[in-house]
Amino acid sequence: MQIHVLDYQTTTAAWLNVEQMREALATRRSGLRPNDLDGSDVDTWIGRVPEVDAAGLGQWCSRNNALARFCLRQGGFEDTVAKVQRHFGNTRVGLILGSSTSSIDRTEQAYCHLDAEGQLTADFSQDVVHNPGALCLFVADYLGIRGPSQLINTACSSSAKVFASASRWLQAGVVDAVLVGGCDALGLSVVHGFNALQLVSANPCRPLDRDRDGINIGEAAGFALLTVSPLEDLCTGIVLEGYGESSDAYHMSHPHPEGRGARQAMVAALDRAHLNPQSIGYINLHGTSSRVNDTIEAEVVASLLPNTVCSSTKGWTGHTLGAAGITEAIIAFDALNTGILPVNLNLESIDPEISISVVVRDGYDKPEHVMTNSFGFGGNNCSLIFGLGSTDSGVSGALA
Amino acid sequence: MIFSISGIGAWGPGFTDWPQLSALMRGEQDSAATAEAPKPAVIPSNERRRAPLSAKLAVEVCSQATAHYPASERQMSCVFASGLGDTELTEYMCRELAGEKKQLSPTKFHNSVHNAPAGYWTIATGCSRPANAVAGLYRSVSQGLLEALVQCQTEGGPVLLAVYDTPATQTLSSLYPCHSPFAAAVVITPSTPDACEATLQWEVEPGEDTQWPEFFLPDLLMSCYKTNIAARLLAVLAPLSQGKSAILRLPLSVGTCLRLQVTPQPIS
Repeated sequence: MQIHVLDYQTTTAAWLNVEQMREALATRRSGLRPNDLDGSDVDTWIGRVPEVDAAGLGQWCSRNNALARFCLRQGGFEDTVAKVQRHFGNTRVGLILGSSTSSIDRTEQAYCHLDAEGQLTADFSQDVVHNPGALCLFVADYLGIRGPSQLINTACSSSAKVFASASRWLQAGVVDAVLVGGCDALGLSVVHGFNALQLVSANPCRPLDRDRDGINIGEAAGFALLTVSPLEDLCTGIVLEGYGESSDAYHMSHPHPEGRGARQAMVAALDRAHLNPQSIGYINLHGTSSRVNDTIEAEVVASLLPNTVCSSTKGWTGHTLGAAGITEAIIAFDALNTGILPVNLNLESIDPEISISVVVRDGYDKPEHVMTNSFGFGGNNCSLIFGLGSTDSGVSGALA
Repeated sequence: MIFSISGIGAWGPGFTDWPQLSALMRGEQDSAATAEAPKPAVIPSNERRRAPLSAKLAVEVCSQATAHYPASERQMSCVFASGLGDTELTEYMCRELAGEKKQLSPTKFHNSVHNAPAGYWTIATGCSRPANAVAGLYRSVSQGLLEALVQCQTEGGPVLLAVYDTPATQTLSSLYPCHSPFAAAVVITPSTPDACEATLQWEVEPGEDTQWPEFFLPDLLMSCYKTNIAARLLAVLAPLSQGKSAILRLPLSVGTCLRLQVTPQPIS
């Protein structure tokens, strides 16, 4: 069974859509800026999308929903969704999205505007918004998706795991197509929360660098349409080949020191894709730019996939938390068609403890298979592998 | 394909395990007095002090549901579902951020992620299997059930499903009038073991605006069923407590429902 990617869109601080992503990656234009969030004095850099506008959202009003809507409106993505719904029937298209913050940006605002009795005011009395499943409720309503829907909220692995769950839904025949994706908008809670954990950097983040000193928080949205029965005039050639999920079983906010869960997720993804490590032509790393994550992830990659070139793209977008999985999946699988392997932006001198091959120039061979990693709080890991599907229905690269 | 429920845990108003909840649902027992929070022994006491109520509830019912498995078999994929997450932590962060200092506790921040209960459970039991955490407001229970059943069918099992919701804070209770904690867990296996509580068959069906089933419950549990989102699992547990088969249609999305055929098994 092959799971085809029919269409996709991405919005981050560095690009508003797929076209701009290719340009930003080729020209190495970052979207990071000094923290200018209203009311925040944290000395850090952030990845903000200034174009986001919540006008007309009514009861759905939140920055997160506005960012999701902005991304859905890019290119002809909404038309593709409508076409797929017409083709399969409106209860046969499902929705699985990932988000970590959901719409807490709006809940933060609500608590700044409580009435004299400490109650929510009318504008903020939004039961569909102040809950962890809000993103899915909104997108289903906005696009008129009536099929099964599910919001996965496993911190920074959320929108990587959507591919695993969607793959299972398609295999079990629950639906014929699934819109997957994720969205996390900036708010004070994430910037101040990661600051409390002493994880944010006062500089633009520099994943894998000897002098890296922390992460930058970013916001992003991304979506992809998956099906096992591609429509004739809709196909990117990209297929989901494997996924691996695991738990560190170690600590709520520190990764396992030997990267046990990360390794387990990568191995499971390779096994499911029936691929050996040599076949993977590019890895988009989780690469947050935290001291600990990058060292541990690189150690696992060095021992498991020593010949594969890798990069972290957090230097463009910041760490987009629950949206990182979909954002980096799109960056990675777009390279299957464009051949653009993103460099490891902001890298000056690689950490001497890190011995993986990092993308440093243009002109690498076009990869046939790519991997992307996402690791979250609670020790929640997900690794994905994508490739270009075979035109026959052969076994090669098929998701078992 | 037939699945089975082979382990149940429960904690909520008037009950601290599944036999008590089952007897309450049959009207055979008066509500027992319950503490404010369970104390799951599987979490070391220093960690338990830092664990939020949501995590303690979820870990307690997971421990109960898997208690009959030998330790080596207790490592199973797990799915956690909750409609509201932890409103106490949400409110704590929002109040701090609405103030001048905006200084958050690092522990409370990492405990605020929706998969914190999954994290506490996998850490406490050394479980390296995949853990999922889902949310779908009023449809969280059916979405959790679907995720667990689909995983069971496509990846093999067993799969542990835990649902939990804690009382909403006073400010958020105007939107979500949830006043008592409820948590329950079931182990779903892809085959029918010799001794199981019930067998399950499932299907996703078209179903416009399906409503949660109406059935008899004693007052305290009925109030919980109506107001605590996780307590909607009672619709699945009720046939088990009565020993009667049932076909349930649970709301899954605007246009679909989860059809569940529940067949209790005689206790061998």
